[in-house]
Amino acid sequence: MAMSERVPSPESRIGRRELLAGMGAITVSSACGPISPRRARASRAPLRRLAAAEGRGLEALGDVLLPGAAAAGLAHYVDDQLGRDDPLLILKYMDYTGPYLGFYREGLAALDRLSLARHSRPFEDIAPEQRAGLVGEISRQTPPGWSGPPAPLFYFVTRNDAIDVVYGTVEGFAALGVPYMPHILPPHPW
Amino acid sequence: MSALDEVDVVIVGSGASGSVLASTLARGGKRVLILEAGPERTAGDLYSSQIWARRIKWGGPPTDSTGTDPISVAFNQGWGTGGAALHHYAVWLRLHPEDLELRTRFGRGLDWPLAYDDLRPYYDEVQAEVGLSGDAVAEVWRPPGTPYPMPPLATFEQGRLIARGFAKLGLRTAPLPLAINSRARDGRPPCIYDGWCDAGCPILALANPLAVYLPKAMAAGASIRHRSVVTRVLVNARGDRAIGVEYYDAAGHRQVQVARVVILAAFAVQNPRILLNSATERQRGGLANSSGLVGKYVMAHSAANVFGLFREETQNFLGVTGGQLLCQERYAKDPGRGYLGSSQWLIANALKPNDLLGIANSRPELFGRPLHDFLRRAALHLATMTFVGESLPDPGNRVVLGDRKDAYGLPLPRVIHSYGVDDLRCWEAGMSEGQAVFRAAGAYEVWPSGRANQHILGGTIMGRTAEASVTNSYGQTHDVANLFVAGPGLFPTAGAVNPTFTIHALSLRTARHLLQNWASVA
Repeated sequence: MAMSERVPSPESRIGRRELLAGMGAITVSSACGPISPRRARASRAPLRRLAAAEGRGLEALGDVLLPGAAAAGLAHYVDDQLGRDDPLLILKYMDYTGPYLGFYREGLAALDRLSLARHSRPFEDIAPEQRAGLVGEISRQTPPGWSGPPAPLFYFVTRNDAIDVVYGTVEGFAALGVPYMPHILPPHPW
Repeated sequence: MSALDEVDVVIVGSGASGSVLASTLARGGKRVLILEAGPERTAGDLYSSQIWARRIKWGGPPTDSTGTDPISVAFNQGWGTGGAALHHYAVWLRLHPEDLELRTRFGRGLDWPLAYDDLRPYYDEVQAEVGLSGDAVAEVWRPPGTPYPMPPLATFEQGRLIARGFAKLGLRTAPLPLAINSRARDGRPPCIYDGWCDAGCPILALANPLAVYLPKAMAAGASIRHRSVVTRVLVNARGDRAIGVEYYDAAGHRQVQVARVVILAAFAVQNPRILLNSATERQRGGLANSSGLVGKYVMAHSAANVFGLFREETQNFLGVTGGQLLCQERYAKDPGRGYLGSSQWLIANALKPNDLLGIANSRPELFGRPLHDFLRRAALHLATMTFVGESLPDPGNRVVLGDRKDAYGLPLPRVIHSYGVDDLRCWEAGMSEGQAVFRAAGAYEVWPSGRANQHILGGTIMGRTAEASVTNSYGQTHDVANLFVAGPGLFPTAGAVNPTFTIHALSLRTARHLLQNWASVA
């Protein structure tokens, strides 16, 4: 007899529909002050570590990587984490030896330089298909003349930042139709 | 700087090895102090979130990880009470006898200074104290040992689907042995299969240090001091006796902790770093390094996942991160395959959408709308299994002191690591087999991940002689009798099983040896 026949699954104790419905009642507070990154972004709250132009560039990149990341508060999430002693950014796993703020600043600046070289405009000002073309390029290799963190690493990290803010939350799980099933729900998403 | 009251034993690190040593030595009547570099963690801190889970991974100064196949250091290390074992996946397997006799049996690599039969009683004792769930009969490859005290954990649809593929190819599978309760035991509840192991198990169904050994250590009188970063082992003028450790406290003040015995249990990168940074006039190459081998023979299991999309819903969100089933059909080493090395499959890992091992990173090249589309399909239909491959010992793979320095002016570690020909052939054979299994299982789309690594081993290897190793079989350094090293850094070979069970068994053996030989050691 298979073990699954002997041990009741969590779904048999509480239905998936109830799990998902229950999650809708959860109020999420913020890690970066009184409002969440999504609301901070919506209210145009100023960034504290990244310059405004860097924030716009990160949002433009984020929406190419995963549409909706900008509205989910990507720039405010990254900006808030950069101010912490022990940031929760996935960059932490990359054994990156340089300063975290420099990683984002230099990566965004390199992306803008690449965009200027190829399309004569900063990344946030070029057409969507041009943005996608550049992102595809940096996902595969470091383009000639790129100076900053290795381009594929910059792609990987910012892509994961975008995924974190869109799908790494209670709402993100619900959007995918999977139960969150927390032991302890975090006091705020990050 | 101030010198604090002498203790019998100071242990650097509160993870798997440190917690077993502290518990056993304190219960044996010794005054034990643990110095933990990271912050205090309690079970209530272990939030169910892959983002918050990053808190319990290494938060100290970075390691410069280099080489053709750089080791993932920060992800493997822990930060705070419980060390790396606080976020380990509790896949507790025994090394096989041949793993400990690589040189003798195959003329390659190294031998351990002890045999499986020397280790077996400690595996059995730890297993009884911690409680393991598994099926010793179904696990036909299992070395001798007492049966598991608990039945295996549940298998869900993901496991059943993949097992179908193994069966079609004539390959056997068995329930994965886990240090996770399948039923209530010793005041700890059973697993609820929510897949948050990587974030730490706050209900303590998973046997992390907070669940078993640290509470016993504290109850026996051991104490722990957090945010205490040990920088050097201090020795007498002759350099043959440790007198304690230098560390920096939470306020950044330099302190000295005097102890009769010093045990480094700070994992495979920081242990050699501390020894190398403890160089003196007499030991210019680092402490306990007369062999020149401190830092050498670092290993990491080759790792990769095979992924597949199924028409059926896979329930990949149910279960535990380590997996549901095991296959060790390729574990027995057979040079006739064209390489020397063992491997195993950890089948049907529970998945989350985000994070390093999340669903989204199974297709790292996807971005934009295709990434959304993939996630919506994969969230309910993706299945995976993890390959663990042996890495043969190579002195060129090593921890050295780098050019960069930490806040206290001491060099940071640099790890240099590349896989050898055998390691790569072993991995390639695994990827080929894994994709065949998924196709046989009925997946309509199958792909492998890129090559990665897991588990950091070696760097302070044990051995029979002072010329060819850093410590003896108890982790006692050949050069400094009252200085011990513990943890996976002692492993002279890697095998292909997850190391935490062996770390526990070795640490228990060391603690017993210390208690029995206290007068001559301390």
